[in-house]
Amino acid sequence: MPPIEIAKAGMGAVGVKVPHTMAERLLILLSRYREASIAVVAIVLVVYFQVGSDGGFLSPQFMSVVLRDTGRLGLIAAAEVMLMITGEIDLSLSAIFSIAPYVMALMSVTWGVPLAVGAVVGVLIGVLVGAINGIITVRFRVPSLISTVGMLFFLQGIVVSIYNSQPIVAPVEQPFNAIFGQSLYQPSDALLSWHGVTAFTPFLWAVLIVLALALALNRTTFGLHTIATGSNIIGAREIGVRTDRMKIYNFMIAGGCAAFAGIINTAQFTSADPQAGSPFLTLQAIAAAVIGGTSLLGGSGTVIGALIGAFVVASLNNGLVMIGAQATVSDIYLGAAIIAAMILSIQVDRLRTRRRL
Amino acid sequence: MNMQTIPPLAADAPVVLEMTNISKSFGAVTALVDVSIKLRRGEVLALVGDNGAGKSTLIKILSGFHQPDTGTIVSQGKEVRFASPRDARAQGIETVYQDLALIGDLSVFHNMFLGREYRKRILGLNLLDNRKMRKQAQIYLDTLGISIPSVNSTVDLLSGGQRQCIAVARSIYSSPRILVLDEPLAALGVRESAHVLGLIQNLRQQRQVSVILIVHNYNQIFEVCDRINFLHSGEVALDASTADTSEEELIRIVKSGLGRKAIDAAAAEVRPGIV
Repeated sequence: MPPIEIAKAGMGAVGVKVPHTMAERLLILLSRYREASIAVVAIVLVVYFQVGSDGGFLSPQFMSVVLRDTGRLGLIAAAEVMLMITGEIDLSLSAIFSIAPYVMALMSVTWGVPLAVGAVVGVLIGVLVGAINGIITVRFRVPSLISTVGMLFFLQGIVVSIYNSQPIVAPVEQPFNAIFGQSLYQPSDALLSWHGVTAFTPFLWAVLIVLALALALNRTTFGLHTIATGSNIIGAREIGVRTDRMKIYNFMIAGGCAAFAGIINTAQFTSADPQAGSPFLTLQAIAAAVIGGTSLLGGSGTVIGALIGAFVVASLNNGLVMIGAQATVSDIYLGAAIIAAMILSIQVDRLRTRRRL
Repeated sequence: MNMQTIPPLAADAPVVLEMTNISKSFGAVTALVDVSIKLRRGEVLALVGDNGAGKSTLIKILSGFHQPDTGTIVSQGKEVRFASPRDARAQGIETVYQDLALIGDLSVFHNMFLGREYRKRILGLNLLDNRKMRKQAQIYLDTLGISIPSVNSTVDLLSGGQRQCIAVARSIYSSPRILVLDEPLAALGVRESAHVLGLIQNLRQQRQVSVILIVHNYNQIFEVCDRINFLHSGEVALDASTADTSEEELIRIVKSGLGRKAIDAAAAEVRPGIV
């Protein structure tokens, strides 16, 4: 509705002030549709890599790599978004990403527990760790930036000491592996074949969960109270929002998402590496969330933006190598992208408040 | 609207709320000592006192935000305990806090219904009924004569006066029995103040709502209030009806920082027989 009003003013009866220049209109659009702005960046990036790689970037084979990384990163980024909206952050997600599938694989090889059961246990571990993170943050008032760093080392220490840092070869069980991710797309696969589709299941799971989170965030009481908690915690409490619970619930969701991402990762590589998730994974996910339009100040954020942000990060990581850059160069671009995204985000916020758009 | 014509409160109006011997400390800081207040149906009670006198603490206990160390709250003849703001709301006690408790990142209509959202089931999911909330908020604000650009705009884009109006509107939406307003006129212009005071008068006359008002402008107290409680250092130093007190006397008492008894006694000492 509002863009039409702007258009009317532009067509303007005499005396009606035309309020916005092109640049301002662009900023208005960016502030209203944060996902749209990052989607434009993603498309530009795809076109750039597609041209630079003579058409190799959008091949099913290469896309299965980019989308696998997108799914893994996107799940964790979406988890961080939920927390960042409540004004918290979880730096232990990479350790949950490692420990959940490790327990699953360990239960399978030592006791013969089916992978599906182990996966449920793994996700529950993630949810439990999230609850502990939440309780430490809320009840003991330790800032999550620190409490979750403690949890990161604690869990990482546990997972490497279980089996002397050895990766466990996870058995292949069907249909478990087909549902949660097979090995990558092979040149001989047809896109619509069984193996062709299952090569993309990690990404499809991420899309499914991100859509569910988006629904929860934008269309439920839970989402409303999550935003209220991060936007004005005292006010939310005064009006009766259970802010402590909202934070704990979101820590639990984040832990569950990270565990699930780790399990998908293991299903795809058929190996549970105790060091599968480096803290770098969490930092990349936070970067994806910020690039996707989530504020670090709490109160606003978009999980769909986080998934697109994850695609941008995964494209930068893989695409630059593909067009012939050194692997290390991609971090330079990623770093620049994060800084640019932060500057843009804060400027758009300021403009929005100043002009009362 | 002529503010001067307050119909006198019926002498036999029932007591709707009684807070007795409420004490509260925050660590080493004592905020309230044995404070007792009584509120009758349809009464408008002014709480006055300097900064730090304990006014806000008292109403935050009444609204369930803080819990008292000692003391009792009797509402509708029954002793109640408010563990959270939800409990107080369930008892029909609505509060407009000094900070307004509005969520800047949420739209006006979401703020209006925060904590009591309309929902509907779609495909087995319990989702927000945004359309209904939007419509109800619009109708309600129109009825109250509160004009804002759009119920869809987020609260952080509204002016201070508009926010205050939204907060007041939200608090009276559920037809509370008791309305608590912590400096409701602080950010309002003359016209907006008159509007909010008019709303309070209407609520009192038409629905017999009881109101506790924290105000600093003593003019306004004499316009709308039936009774004044003056809090000083965490104690009620004066409890008087507006009919028995003049603005000058109130100012004199507040300035002295003592209760009326103490002032009267001091005056009697200086000029015996004149009091």
